[in-house]
Amino acid sequence: MLDFGGLGAWLSNPENWAGRYGLWNLVAEHLCLTFLAIVIAAIVAVPIGVAIGHFGRGEFLVVGLGSFSRAIPTMGLLFALVLVMGIQFRELSVVLALSAIAFPPLLAGAYSGVTTIPAWIRDSATAQGMTTGQLVRHVELPLASASIIGGFRIAYIQVVSTVVLAPLVGLGGVGFGIIQGLALRNFPQVTASSLVIIVITVTGDRVIGLFQRLAGARLSPPTPLEKS
Amino acid sequence: MEWFIANWTFVAGLAATHLSVSVGPIVVGAFLAVVSARITPPRWVNPTRGVLGAIYAIPSLALFVTLPVLIGTDFTGPTNVVIALTIYVIASMYFSAHDSFTQVPRPTVTNAESMGMNSWQVFVHVELPMAVPGLIAGLRVAAASTISIASIGAVVGVRNLGYLFIDGFQRKIPEEIITGILAICVIALTLDVGLWLVGRLMTRWRFVRVDHA
Amino acid sequence: MKLTRIAAVAASIGLTLGIAGCAPSAVPSREPIVIGSQAYYSNEIVAEAYALVLEDAGFAVERKFSLGQRDVYVPALVAGEIDLFPEYTGNLLQFFVPTATETAAEDVYAALATSLPEGLTALAMSPASDQDSYNVTQDFASANGVESIADLASLTDITLGGAPELAERPYGPAGLLAMYGVTVSFEATGDTTVESLVAGIVDMANVYSADPRIQQLGLVTLSDPLGLFLASNVVPIASEAVNADARALIDAVSAAMSAEDLVALNVRSVDEKLSAAVIAREWLVSEGLLD
Repeated sequence: MLDFGGLGAWLSNPENWAGRYGLWNLVAEHLCLTFLAIVIAAIVAVPIGVAIGHFGRGEFLVVGLGSFSRAIPTMGLLFALVLVMGIQFRELSVVLALSAIAFPPLLAGAYSGVTTIPAWIRDSATAQGMTTGQLVRHVELPLASASIIGGFRIAYIQVVSTVVLAPLVGLGGVGFGIIQGLALRNFPQVTASSLVIIVITVTGDRVIGLFQRLAGARLSPPTPLEKS
Repeated sequence: MEWFIANWTFVAGLAATHLSVSVGPIVVGAFLAVVSARITPPRWVNPTRGVLGAIYAIPSLALFVTLPVLIGTDFTGPTNVVIALTIYVIASMYFSAHDSFTQVPRPTVTNAESMGMNSWQVFVHVELPMAVPGLIAGLRVAAASTISIASIGAVVGVRNLGYLFIDGFQRKIPEEIITGILAICVIALTLDVGLWLVGRLMTRWRFVRVDHA
Repeated sequence: MKLTRIAAVAASIGLTLGIAGCAPSAVPSREPIVIGSQAYYSNEIVAEAYALVLEDAGFAVERKFSLGQRDVYVPALVAGEIDLFPEYTGNLLQFFVPTATETAAEDVYAALATSLPEGLTALAMSPASDQDSYNVTQDFASANGVESIADLASLTDITLGGAPELAERPYGPAGLLAMYGVTVSFEATGDTTVESLVAGIVDMANVYSADPRIQQLGLVTLSDPLGLFLASNVVPIASEAVNADARALIDAVSAAMSAEDLVALNVRSVDEKLSAAVIAREWLVSEGLLD
């Protein structure tokens, strides 16, 4: 089974990198889907998370979603949403399903970033005469940034992993090589595709981790690990 | 609901397979994580965390199909899924297990040693019980995600609850997919509550009220 | 005291085992026939039909259904872990002989019979078939006047949808070009192929011929005059553990199942969402193969 020769041959064949279902295109599609989904989820989740952290109301939502989302199989969620929303707008329904997966960690990251800021820091900001808007913008957001980015990191891993399943619902992404390869018993292709996915995931995780460290010089509450 | 009532024996069979491929990895993975977290020399801790963190980030389907190349198993079937899930449990629990042990107060350990306990006794009677809350917390996270990730094994031919997603999507039966999601949630949450209870029972000394009056 | 209790427990265990041993099966000493099926609802219905007629005749049967792809179950079949499996002549032939050139039903069946591994037999094939086919919508067919794959040669910009592996299959884009001179761009639509066709995302879709939605949605299956596709009839693959009596029963099931029957069974699975066992039993009763 150890077929490094076949793997090398597959990866070094330029045909496998070019065209509609070539690796370059699939990687671009994979990252595009991931990026879109996270951005859409973040636009909704981060403000809500910051607000919940700021006002201290609705924490049950964060905690409940957090523990419940871990148990929800992302594959089922993806399939169910695409099936219910219909194929007409399959890109949209896949992106929305992925956004739903990215939502809980982004919400939790934003919430815990704000809520763990010590009360005395907020009090001193208020004492200096800051309005709520100023407090959020100049104190809470900067201090919560490491935790917010931590939420992006978890969301990235979850979404990028789930996009691997997109070929099953008729979209591309690097998972295509795995699904097609399994059906054709082209195992070098299966292995090569999964290596590319691993590189994308781990590199992205490290890059976001770098930003997190840069932002976390001030305060960095540990972020819980989650995956799919 | 109608679909579930008509097919509940089928779902129960899938649930049994689902449990059989997930429980082993949870138990074995937890054991290995605790042991390795306890015996890692301090200067190796950070590199180990780095490696395990990277492994943990690998998408499950990618890991399922990479293992055959690394260890020579067949591409399809349950073996890869079981091994991959075990690896995830180790990677996920290592962090919390290590923290649980380092957070055992030093004076408590010193006290035990001065009472004449050897290092094995200290481990079994002092460190392990004091680490239980942290270990259980880590195990709960690992167990819930293992149950949920196991479903992706259906893509490589493991007939578990994930099969309901593939079959339901083929036959366009949303109820079937939703049944799968709910069944996995129920199993994961039941396991979660069970582990929480086990944690409570194992640390009853924490809840004994000491009357100082 | 203790001893008597142990004796009582032992006796009750023995009794339970004894009762279980004499239970329903009319042929108690025989090893069960292990029947497998693919992770495909239609295949499972056929497997269930085999299981029901065998059980009815007193054979012990063990069901190992939804075994996924051929990679998973063919080795198990070869190793003797599974004794009986509903298969499809063309697709199975392609699994063993990827370069097979036979396309007509009888030729494919004959080629399959000689390429099966030692110990496995293809029983008589059924008139029912479930094979790859190219389909277009009614609108597309009438707008462009196409009835056959050959009619596509004059068209440009055709998008073909299908499972990811279709891109590499001999009857995929390359085969279309070589045999019919039809140029298509391929779109991997996976399990959403039919929906994608209806939604206009693709112009032509590879759909199994027994798929109920071909009828329901009024799709037009293009004829294949040059034989691009391999015929793929339902064929039971049996190991030596399936004896002559059992084979006769299975042959009767195969003979009774017409192509229309298979589509009708699939329709029930998708429309009425019934389990394979219910659908198979009712069909067997209607065919007089079961009371």
